[in-house]
Amino acid sequence: MSFVFVNGVLSGVTDDPEKLVKDIIEDRRQSNIPKEINVRYRKDTDSVMINSDSGRLLRALIVVKNGKPMVTKEDVELLSEGHLTWQDLIDKGKIEYLDADEEELAYTALNEEDLTPAHTHLEITPLSVFGTQASLLPFINHSNAHRNVTAVKSVQQGVGLYTTNYLIRHDNDSMIAIDQQMPIVKTEMYENENFKSHLSGQNIVVAVLSYLGYNMDDAIIINKSSVERGLFRAMFFRPYKVEEIKYVGGQSDVITVPDKDVAGYRSEDSYKYLDEDGIAAINSQVNGGDVLIGRISPPRFVSSIDKFRLGVQKQVESSIECRTGESGVVDNVFVTSTAEGNKYVSLKIREDRPVEIGDKFGPRSGQKGVVGMLLNQEDMPFTYSGIIPDLIFSPYSIPSRMSMSYLLELIGGKVGALGGRYIDGTPFTGETEEDLRKELMEYGFRENGVETMYNGITGEEMKVRIFVGNMTYIRLKHLVEYKIQWRARGPIQLLNRQPTEGKSKRGGLRLGEMEKDCFVAYGTALALKERFDSDKVTIPVCSKCGMVAVYNVKKKTGYCPIDGEDAQIKLIEVSVSFKILLDELKSVGIYPKMVLGSKV
Amino acid sequence: MKIEIPEKYIVAFKEKYGENADLAELEKIYTRSLVTPGEAVGVIAAQSIGEASTQLTLRTKHAAGLSVINTTSGLPRLVEIFDSKKDISTPFMDIYLKEEYAKSKQKASEIASKIIEIKIGDITSSYTVSLRKKSIEFVLDKELLKEYGFTPKDVTAKLSNLKVSTALEGDNLSVIDKSADSVKKLIRLRNKIVEINLSGLPGVSRAILNQDSNGNYWIKTIGTNLSEVLKMEEVDQKNTISNDIIEVSKVLGIEAARNLIIEEVNSTLQNVGLTVDLRHIFLIADAMCLDGTVRGIGRYGLSGEADSVLARASFEVPLKHLIEAGLYHESDPFKYVANNILSNQVIPIGTGGVELVVKENGKGNSEENSGKDKEQ
Repeated sequence: MSFVFVNGVLSGVTDDPEKLVKDIIEDRRQSNIPKEINVRYRKDTDSVMINSDSGRLLRALIVVKNGKPMVTKEDVELLSEGHLTWQDLIDKGKIEYLDADEEELAYTALNEEDLTPAHTHLEITPLSVFGTQASLLPFINHSNAHRNVTAVKSVQQGVGLYTTNYLIRHDNDSMIAIDQQMPIVKTEMYENENFKSHLSGQNIVVAVLSYLGYNMDDAIIINKSSVERGLFRAMFFRPYKVEEIKYVGGQSDVITVPDKDVAGYRSEDSYKYLDEDGIAAINSQVNGGDVLIGRISPPRFVSSIDKFRLGVQKQVESSIECRTGESGVVDNVFVTSTAEGNKYVSLKIREDRPVEIGDKFGPRSGQKGVVGMLLNQEDMPFTYSGIIPDLIFSPYSIPSRMSMSYLLELIGGKVGALGGRYIDGTPFTGETEEDLRKELMEYGFRENGVETMYNGITGEEMKVRIFVGNMTYIRLKHLVEYKIQWRARGPIQLLNRQPTEGKSKRGGLRLGEMEKDCFVAYGTALALKERFDSDKVTIPVCSKCGMVAVYNVKKKTGYCPIDGEDAQIKLIEVSVSFKILLDELKSVGIYPKMVLGSKV
Repeated sequence: MKIEIPEKYIVAFKEKYGENADLAELEKIYTRSLVTPGEAVGVIAAQSIGEASTQLTLRTKHAAGLSVINTTSGLPRLVEIFDSKKDISTPFMDIYLKEEYAKSKQKASEIASKIIEIKIGDITSSYTVSLRKKSIEFVLDKELLKEYGFTPKDVTAKLSNLKVSTALEGDNLSVIDKSADSVKKLIRLRNKIVEINLSGLPGVSRAILNQDSNGNYWIKTIGTNLSEVLKMEEVDQKNTISNDIIEVSKVLGIEAARNLIIEEVNSTLQNVGLTVDLRHIFLIADAMCLDGTVRGIGRYGLSGEADSVLARASFEVPLKHLIEAGLYHESDPFKYVANNILSNQVIPIGTGGVELVVKENGKGNSEENSGKDKEQ
């Protein structure tokens, strides 16, 4: 007797579980019960699991009976002619959806040739063992699985044309790369998921060599002239959103150019881009700190004293300004009202993001790298036929990672560019390496893709032949512009007078506990003190009672809370954080007495 | 593990001062120049071991096998040693035998079986508790009894210390406790009986016979009982060792414990392919054994006993230390690294260890303490 569970709830028993499973599957294929019902017999627990609930991932497979797939060649033809639909195949029980549970007992063949009578299902295409993302990577059946995972992650970070109506959209912090292309080496998936409408990546000439030492490790060299011609150029958009909030008492924010008598009025210069409506004019070039949307708010806290003051209470200025360190062009303004009926303005800034040293690029094989140098075209190496690469990739990145799809894509791209056609790089079913090599030879190149190259600086012929070809590179969203941070002096925190933290606050980089230990280990005591001097302060201390005293430097007089005017005050230099510690000890009732000794 | 003076220094010394030069003088010069005054040897030792052990975490391997005892190794073992834990996870002993016993396998295995502890629980197969009869009935395993060479009477003899009456019926041993008034009490009694030692040394659960390259047999045990083993006549007391540092410090003394710490740390690091200079390990072992008992490095050990209030407070549980300092009127001499950094003073290490001595009005500087002291 076996238990039967429906959606995890014990619902009955059966004496013949195998038959029950078979009947349910047969009923499902004949459309007697819904298609989403999946069933599985677990021998180890002797129970039948029937699932019909939501949240299970389902996978479509071709049903196989006696080693023959149910979907026939005629079916495929009818399907391509449009006489048959996907739903028809499902209704006829030729294709069925399995969940993770039922998949456990299915015996699935990858290719039709592999079918034996024991098989129960057949993959619709070998490509479907990959997800949507991995299916976009060419030749990944040749690559290390770990590289493929990395490649998927890289491609997800790509900057491209993620939407075509980006001009009117106000997405937060979006980037659009211009002039994106369909890859020369593509997979079936590029057609299936309509990649044309959201391209990302450009087909460029790549040479695999180490050059000038600026492409060590995972760095790449990019042709500066290509960048000047617009290679990998991207635009960055940042919307600034403002609402006219209504307050209790009928008062409300007003979006306008603030008057000069408004509290907190900035200089007249800050408002120079504003039109009469209080919104910066389209196409005005703004910099950090410039007001983009002028706004005044009613005074917030009406205290009782203010009531007796003469005159009208001042409005408070609450304009929105361009972020510090950023600049750009006012691209698009969008005025509407919220559900509460408040006026709502969104103003979008556009800024160019040309390629610079430190930006990240990657192909579709997990070999991402950072620009180490932008090299002028005349200094780049060139081939016999005069081809100058756009990008130089280090050959040392290949052997340890074994990402063969990089090399295959390079050859494929070269063949595609020479032949003026797209190359099918679909995993398992795409064009083979032999065919590509043969075709490359027909075009008059060496079959392995190498060419004689000349040093661009000296003009000498290189002693080895260089692997050069075309492939797709994607600009990744990690730009140095967002990450670069430095500081010599800058803002400090109010409480402990230590430097602020974080890029947005112009903060410093912390010399942490372990770094401190290194200074101690080296014995550089004075250098260590200097590094921690950022919050030093000179405080007067009464040497009689050992407490922090009050001291007037000009009059050279002072007093202390315990000894009063009799205090013997000495000035000592400590960190503010130490002074705070003393204060906190006092606040919990511990008397921290400082005993002063003579330094000399 | 004494640092020996390298041969080349001795040669050079003799060359300069003649063959009869006093080598004690050389030793003095050598030891003095081993480290520069003011060098932060503690931090360097900590970094040298700390950096190495970050790699160690990833490389801990597990050896699976029947005859091999799987001992704690890698980072967990290092932590165990430095914390001077009382119950280490895999205590073991390496028991070496005197020559007349070491050559014979039979004699060695006899000793091994003598060492293994057998409890009453090991020879009973099942038990039933009856509150009505106020008894616990054990079923003795006949085969095991035979194997270990016990009779049921041996078992009842061991129970004579307890205030219970026993009765034997074939394989069944019933223990009756008249004072028992609850099942809980009986179960507690049962747990107590099961742990009673029949033979062997308490704490030693397994003993494995090994043979070294000279053909001498030695015994590796799981569980330690060093003091009892050393009492045995057959055992070579000079070489037999346990890996339980606390036990060694109790049985053999603090110097032995220090040597064991050095040995264990060094072999643990070497097992995973790391070499740390011995002198760093010396320093840490010395610090741990400084006051005659083995102290761990941590809140309840070295760091928790520092003289400076602020140094302790900035390490862990600051509130406790600060309040105690307030209650007991403690003062802080500001001679440590932590409190000087805290108050932005020059640390008394390296270049900061140097001070200017100036005579005031011809008299010596009366105030010994430069800087400030903090008192409650």
